[in-house]
Amino acid sequence: MNLPQLFHNAAFGGVAAAGFGVLFHIGIRALPWCVASGALALTVRTIALASGWSLEAASFVAALTLGAAAQLIQSRITVSRNALEVVGCIPMIPGGFAAKAILGLFAVATQHAPTTHEPFILAVENTWRAAFTIGALGTGLAMPTLLMRVRGISQARTDRGTAQSGVMAPAGDTKSNDPGPLFRRRGV
Amino acid sequence: MKTFTTRESESLPAKSATNAPMLKLSNLQGRGSLEEVAMLALEFGRLLMEAGATARSVEEVTAQVASGFGAERVDLRVGYASLAITIGRGPNGISRMRKVGPLGVNQSLDYALRTTAACIERGSWTVAEARAELDRLARTSSHHPDWIVAPAVGVACAAFGRLLGVDWAGIGPIFVAATLGQLLRRQLASHHINVFVSTTVVAFFSSTLCGLGARWAGSATAPTAMTVAVLLLVPGVPSLNALSDILEGRPTLGSARAVWVAVILVFITTGIWLAQSLLGEGR
Repeated sequence: MNLPQLFHNAAFGGVAAAGFGVLFHIGIRALPWCVASGALALTVRTIALASGWSLEAASFVAALTLGAAAQLIQSRITVSRNALEVVGCIPMIPGGFAAKAILGLFAVATQHAPTTHEPFILAVENTWRAAFTIGALGTGLAMPTLLMRVRGISQARTDRGTAQSGVMAPAGDTKSNDPGPLFRRRGV
Repeated sequence: MKTFTTRESESLPAKSATNAPMLKLSNLQGRGSLEEVAMLALEFGRLLMEAGATARSVEEVTAQVASGFGAERVDLRVGYASLAITIGRGPNGISRMRKVGPLGVNQSLDYALRTTAACIERGSWTVAEARAELDRLARTSSHHPDWIVAPAVGVACAAFGRLLGVDWAGIGPIFVAATLGQLLRRQLASHHINVFVSTTVVAFFSSTLCGLGARWAGSATAPTAMTVAVLLLVPGVPSLNALSDILEGRPTLGSARAVWVAVILVFITTGIWLAQSLLGEGR
């Protein structure tokens, strides 16, 4: 394991996540959480890549870890779980691959007399890498939420977290954390 | 924002006598008519969609709002450009539809709306109080000023550059190009320029500026830097939302988002391609 590389990626992943946190209008006080989420995601991905995993598999594990961590701490933080997951994953969005893929397809289309299939193969490879990496990120983030919902505790935890933080709670509100008839009916 | 509604009594005059009590149903547990509750729930949904929430979040929050005011049944259809809701209590029901504006990202507003909806569900707010709170949130939710956002985007893109292997000489030009690109993007948005045209213009501007700067600074990774400088335009939130919506059983909305993401990527790449053609890079 190359430790300087690990710290480098974690630090710049955190900075990128914080920068995009500002772009997404996350409150200034919540930015340290954005830094932490980006650093966590990049740390896991770097370790997985260093262990010989593919970019797609490493991105999946990183997103899964981030999603699980956000589920665990959501009741203790003043930023939505969704926001934390999104900004943490933003540094792993394969925008560069997507751009290379489309540029490659442009190049293939403008070749007058193609002498080699290499540009086409490279463009297709970049396209699939971008698609699979986004798929891995989305699936990794969604899995903890879907699993928690199957267990029926996600909503109750959200309610409890809001009740603990007391943000904007109406005065004299002493009602229990009952998720309500709608959620009972749907089993959410 | 224009509101589209359908009154059963108008569309079905023969049944108006039967439907009249339903439409005149004025109270849900003494806290607002079906009409008021439906429109309030739709307003929460619309703001959430425009703040970049997933369909599941929109569905949960609108259900929280409606059930908080006594609705027993809530069915929501989340479309890319509109929301439709049917709420009911006992034998009575009402359906309403609401147009959704351009989808953006505002996590601060998203969080405030979720918190408010949770309070409505648990608390004893009246519809009027909830409406006032919603208007206040929409008006005052945290928007960082451009002079903070633009440098932050520049720093984020510069950090991306390091992650993607750009040398230190290329980092400064990325920061400057992305910062100015974000300012240009805001200017174009304020003049209501089409988002796809705006994307290509910003991508071309940032990529060209970064390419020139990287050459001047002696960077050996100028082509990569030119691509990194436009990563501020990559629609990360919509792409994750698209997949999330598909995975959670809403393929129509997910596909619509995915198509939008794909088209934006094509327009970003067009800007980069024009810049690289101009500077003779990437060949």
